[in-house]
Parts: sequence; C-alpha cells; structure tokens
Amino acid sequence: MGTFLASRVMTDIFGGLATGAVVALIALSLVIIWQSTHVLNFAQGAMGMFATFVGMNLVFHGLNYWLCLVLSVVTGMVLGGVTERVLIRPLYGKPEINPIVVMIGFLGVIEAVIASIWTTNITMLPSPFSQIYYQSAGHTILVSPFIFYEVAVVAAVVIAIALLFRRTNLGLQMRAAALAPEVSRLLGVRVGRLLTLGWILSTGVGTLAAVVVSTGQVLAPTNMDGIFVSAFIAAAVGGLESPLGAIVAGLAIGLTEQFILDFWSTSIAPLSGVIVLVIGLSLRPQGLFTKHVSRRV
Amino acid sequence: MVRSLSQRYPTSFRLVASVVLCALALAVTFVLTPLDDSKLAGGAAMSIVILGLSWLIGWSGQVSLGNAGFMAIGAYTTAIWANHHTTSPIIWSLFLSTVLGGVSGLVLALPATRLRGPYLAGMTLAFSFAVAPLAIDSRSLTGGSGGLFINFLNAPSWFANLFSGSDALVKANAQWPADVAIVVAAVAFFFMANLFRSRTGRALRLVRDNEVAAELVGVNLQRTRTLAFVISAAYAGLGGSMMTLLSGSVTPQTYGLTLSILLLTLMVLGGIGTLSGAVIGGLIYSYSDNIVSVVNKVTGVNPTSTFGANLKGIVFGVLLILTMMLAPRGLVGLGSYLRRLVRR
Repeated sequence: MGTFLASRVMTDIFGGLATGAVVALIALSLVIIWQSTHVLNFAQGAMGMFATFVGMNLVFHGLNYWLCLVLSVVTGMVLGGVTERVLIRPLYGKPEINPIVVMIGFLGVIEAVIASIWTTNITMLPSPFSQIYYQSAGHTILVSPFIFYEVAVVAAVVIAIALLFRRTNLGLQMRAAALAPEVSRLLGVRVGRLLTLGWILSTGVGTLAAVVVSTGQVLAPTNMDGIFVSAFIAAAVGGLESPLGAIVAGLAIGLTEQFILDFWSTSIAPLSGVIVLVIGLSLRPQGLFTKHVSRRV
Repeated sequence: MVRSLSQRYPTSFRLVASVVLCALALAVTFVLTPLDDSKLAGGAAMSIVILGLSWLIGWSGQVSLGNAGFMAIGAYTTAIWANHHTTSPIIWSLFLSTVLGGVSGLVLALPATRLRGPYLAGMTLAFSFAVAPLAIDSRSLTGGSGGLFINFLNAPSWFANLFSGSDALVKANAQWPADVAIVVAAVAFFFMANLFRSRTGRALRLVRDNEVAAELVGVNLQRTRTLAFVISAAYAGLGGSMMTLLSGSVTPQTYGLTLSILLLTLMVLGGIGTLSGAVIGGLIYSYSDNIVSVVNKVTGVNPTSTFGANLKGIVFGVLLILTMMLAPRGLVGLGSYLRRLVRR
C-alpha cells in the first residue's frame, strides 16, 4: 500500500489535487462575480492578497492565526463590497470592455500598493498544521495534515456556497437578480444590494483562498499571480456560468499542470495553462458544463 | 463615432500629412536637448505599440493584455538577429521583428479570436505571465534572466557631419536613434491611417458593433478578428524591436504584466481608437517619469522609499481607472469636446 501511495503517479495526483483545490476555490469566486454582475474580476487575486496582507500580517505581531484569518476575510469582503459600489456600479450598461479595463487598472494599483507597503516582509507565515508528509513503511506520501486542512477549507466553502444558492431564500433571490434583474426588481427583490452581496461573497472566498495559499509560505505580493491565471483558465474552461464546471476544471487544471511538470518539461510549465485553455475552449467554446445558448439579436 | 482626418481625406492626403508631420517631428529633435531626444525616441517606439493596441481595442472591441508579450518577441528577435548579423542594416531587424510578432499573434489568435471580451483578455493575460519565465528558461537563445545586449544605434558619419562644436558626436548619437524611431513611427502611423479607412477597418467596426449585421453583409467574423489581432501583434513586435535598438539591451523583466497595464493606460489616456490618441500616449510615456516626479513633489513622497518606487504603478493605475470612468474617450475626446464648446 505504501509503495503504491508513494508511486510517481499517486504523488502527482496528490500534489495536483492539492493545488487544484485552491485553483477551484478561486475559480468559484470568479464565477460568483460573473454570475451576479457579468464582470470578470481581474483584480480578484490581488484583492485577496491585499486582504491577506492586512489580516495575516498581524500573526507576526502575536495574534492568533484563526483570528487573523477571520480579519483577512472580513477585510476582503469589505474591499469587495466597496469596489462594486464605487468602481463597478457606475459602469453597468456601458460597453463590456469598460469594467474589464477598470479592473485591470485596479489590479495595477493594488499590486503597487502591496509592493510599496509590505515589500520588506520576507517572513514565513507559520502554518497551524504540520506540513510534514506522512510516511508509510519508509515511503513518503505527498499528503500532510496541512493538505487536509487546505482541502477541508475548500470543501466547506463549496458546500456552504452550494447550500446558499440552492437551499436558501437569499440564494434564490441572488440567482433571480442575476438572471432577470428587471423582473426580480418588479417582484420586490433588492437587486442592487444583491449584486453587492455577490461581490462581497466572492472576494471573501477569494481572500480565504489567498490565505490558504500563503499559509506555510513566504507572504509575498506575487503569491496569487500564477494561481489566479490558472483559476481564470479553470473558470473559462468550466464555462463562466457554472460553479460545478469551475470546481471540476480547477481540479483538472491542478492535475494537468502537475503531470506536465513531472512527465514533460518544467520549461513548458508557464504555458501549460494556456495549452489547457486552448484545448478546452477549442473543444467546447461555451465551456464544459454550460448549455449552449445562442446569442439573441 | 468621431470622424477623424483620416476618414475624410484620400490616401495621397494621408501620405502628405504623414511626411509633413514626420518632418516637423524631425525638425523638433534638432532643437531639443540630447536628454529630451532620447525620451522622445522611447515615446515614438511606444506610440507604435499603443497604436496597435488602440486598433485592436478601439476598432475590434477585443481587449488584449498580451501585447507586452508580443513586444518581447520583437525585442528578442532584434537582439538575437543583431548579435548574429552585426553588419546587417537595422531595417532587417525591424522587418523580422514585425513579421515574427505578427506570426506569434496568429498562433495566439487562432484560439483567442473565438473568445469574447473577458475570455480573450484572460487568455492574453495568461500569455503575458508566461513570457518572462519562458524567456528566462530558454537561456541559450535569450541569455536567461540577464537578457541580451547589442551595439548602440550610433549615428552614421553623414548624420554626424551635420553637427559642429565640441559635443557634436554626443548630440548626433543621441538624436539619431530618436530620428530613426520617428521615421519608423511615421511609416507605422501612415499604414494604420489607411487601415482605419480601408474595407477591413470598416468591417472590423461593424463586427465590434453588431456581429449579426456583419455576418449578414458577408463579413467573415473569424478572419476579420484574427487579422485585427495579427496586425496589433505585428505593431507590438515592431515597437519591441525599436525598444531594443534604443536601449541596446533586452531583459525578460521589462515585458511583464506591468508593461501591458501601462500600455493600456497610455492608450486609454490618449484616446481609444485614434491616431492622435496613440501619439499623445507615446508623449505621456516619454515624460512619465517627469509626471511621477511632479506627483512626488506635490505629495512629498520620498522617491527613493519603497512607496516612491511603486508610485508610478499607483499613479498610472489610478489615471486609468479615472479616465475610463469619467472620460472614456481620453484626452482626444476632451479635445473634441472643447472644440464643440467653442463652436457653439
């Protein structure tokens, strides 16, 4: 059993799923924003990283890890809500490139702000769980308590989001507001508030992902860059409309990247995401899990 | 839509206008100091890239964050070519870089143009992130993270002879690259002015505004979008080539996401989809350090602090957001707004 679990393929599968879980989480957060406001948030990774810096930096001042995690997520949520109100709300009804450009500008601003405030920070953010891999009969298995923590966070969030959207009144209203804003407004749904709530939820999830990614690592402004690109690709391949698609595609991308790294070449690794995107979208341009809807004239 | 000069007048007019404006710009370089000349040279090179991006975003409605990557391809092509063929005239470097930029644009366009708005932007973003690591990794070709160096663009003797005095050579060597960049930019702008007016240009705007109408009048959506993307990438390749010639070096760190964001900012600030907007964008690039140092003075930020070092990113990011939200047509739009106020 130990030999099997420590084999090259199993090692890749464990490693790929661990990365893929976080990628899936961020992809999910992108889908939530896309569903509520039809904006692809290019600053999602940077916003999550900013909130992580605000909250997790306090760990170095002696605060409890979990308290800092909560602080980070709350900061991320506030940032998301304010962003929607200030930067996105005035752009509804404008050409679709306007919010894209604005969020790219915001990405530039946040990255510069993070780099200017926390540049000297090169300390490792301690993990509350051991990162030492399990051993079985002398073989190393690429699973650690920390990876269980990572996967548990992702699973909990996914289940919570699914319950929110499928089982609660609020989730139903959010779906209605996204699908048919005018009709929902006539039926008494406060559409504006729900759009903001969509952003708040999404940046909260994004921040949680950023915290998990940065735990046990050097807290660096660029922590989210590569992962955000993978997450975007996952969201796109899964079809921006589909939370399930985002999660499946996220896991798949984590696995693909891991296998390309291990079996093909490390120099191709930066392009592996692009390759997955090209193949995925060439096969199904509308995404893996989205029903094809023709655009109406 | 705003009707620009290029839409009202024939090709011969555009040719005369390009030559006259180019001659004017060249005359100005004789007056300016060597420092201003070198700034202007960078601006001219950048304006080519901005124009290509402006064409893509303004005329075809596709957002690309990958143009810095195409610049890198042009920049490396020039450096590698110039190092292997030290005596070859720079026109070959420029030509090869443009072609390779266009070809890599085509490779990326095949999947990219099937994508709409956010998908395309995200895909080019992924490309943008991949370029620097790839360049660092292919060490034998690109010199790794140290980059490549080439000989500076020194003035030929006939040009140097135009100057007299003790610092004649210094002046000539500073001005020559600027003049080369201006001529290259003038040629690029002339072609683009014609392209705006061409059948392709009109088809592209129709594709942007109404896909179904475009298809009904027989425009091939896929081909038109691909063409727009390829031309934009070729312009980026040309601009990147010019950047290498001007700076005498190329490093992978130069061509990252930050540059793509800067390109977008300069394009939006100038005015999306216009020739004059690209010129303004280039000029802003030339004097961007001056703009930042003004902000430094006003806010009292120490330019050597980490905050001061990142101030440029913050200033331009904020400018991009504000322009897009308050005056999406940029400085050109502001200009035509003022003109209308005066006429009233």
